[in-house]
Amino acid sequence: MPHIEETDFQHPAEKEFAKLLDFYGIQWEYEPRTFPLDYNEDGSVKSAFSPDFYLPEQDLYVELTTQSPKLNNLKNRKIRQLQERYPGINVKLLNRRDIRSLSIKYDFPDPTDVNFQEGHPRDRT
Amino acid sequence: MSTSRKDIPETAPEAYRQAIARVIIDEATLQARISEMGEAIARDYEGKNPVFVGVLKGVLFFLADLLQATSIPLAVDFMSISSYSPSSREQGYVRITKDLDICIEGRHVVFVEDIIDTGLTLGYLLKLLRTRNPASLEVAVLFDKPSRRLIDIHPRYLGFHLPDLFVVGYGLDYREQFRNLPFVGVLRPDFLKLS
Repeated sequence: MPHIEETDFQHPAEKEFAKLLDFYGIQWEYEPRTFPLDYNEDGSVKSAFSPDFYLPEQDLYVELTTQSPKLNNLKNRKIRQLQERYPGINVKLLNRRDIRSLSIKYDFPDPTDVNFQEGHPRDRT
Repeated sequence: MSTSRKDIPETAPEAYRQAIARVIIDEATLQARISEMGEAIARDYEGKNPVFVGVLKGVLFFLADLLQATSIPLAVDFMSISSYSPSSREQGYVRITKDLDICIEGRHVVFVEDIIDTGLTLGYLLKLLRTRNPASLEVAVLFDKPSRRLIDIHPRYLGFHLPDLFVVGYGLDYREQFRNLPFVGVLRPDFLKLS
């Protein structure tokens, strides 16, 4: 299991999520796999998606987003594409509302309140 | 099932009444469903003398009512674990703060939980209890919020699916308040922001 302090998280919400998983002994990997979604005519990857976490015991990929619902279209579309292209892959999206709910439930600072809402730096188009 | 703010019982503390937007499961509906669950468990576990295990504190209300609705011989025990609070998360991992007094090896165990949300807590505890070799291990849960589920758990006995709202009452708390309401209500969004 990777160590939190050795992982280069792209957003504070991801680090909080990793801490929560560690607390309950859930194994996780951070961005372990990139799924090509679309290809150019020359065969190069045109569009890809790297879910934030993989939980091996659950065989589940988890993507976090702190974007407002209005800005979630791109991420939702990528998850739909991923599910269509890789039907055996389980992926769950935790959106800003989910992350806020987790912060209330588990009493940690709301990572969606900080100035990181412009977008996810690792989004690939 | 009522859905209006005017349905909030007058017996509820005024401070709680002010914080709740509406009731989504009233007391009568809760109790009727719990009775059905108890009857189903009694049928399934007749002659098996099961051990009911609850995790403090939220399950207290549901467990008490479920036990009374389950009219067979049974045993009951409690566990308590450290929650993901600012103090306990400094230690980095969950700790058992009160373990079972009853040995469950070879026993039929009904794990009783008030709510499943992410499944992180329940998943951890079920994994732990399986290492103790019970004859069987099933889950009875009153409320299920499947939208944020991370751990794949399928309760054998389920009371209600809950909408993706912050709800309190009948054991469910917000910062340790509201547990003692006999119904389930939705907190007002402005209360969550202000508190």
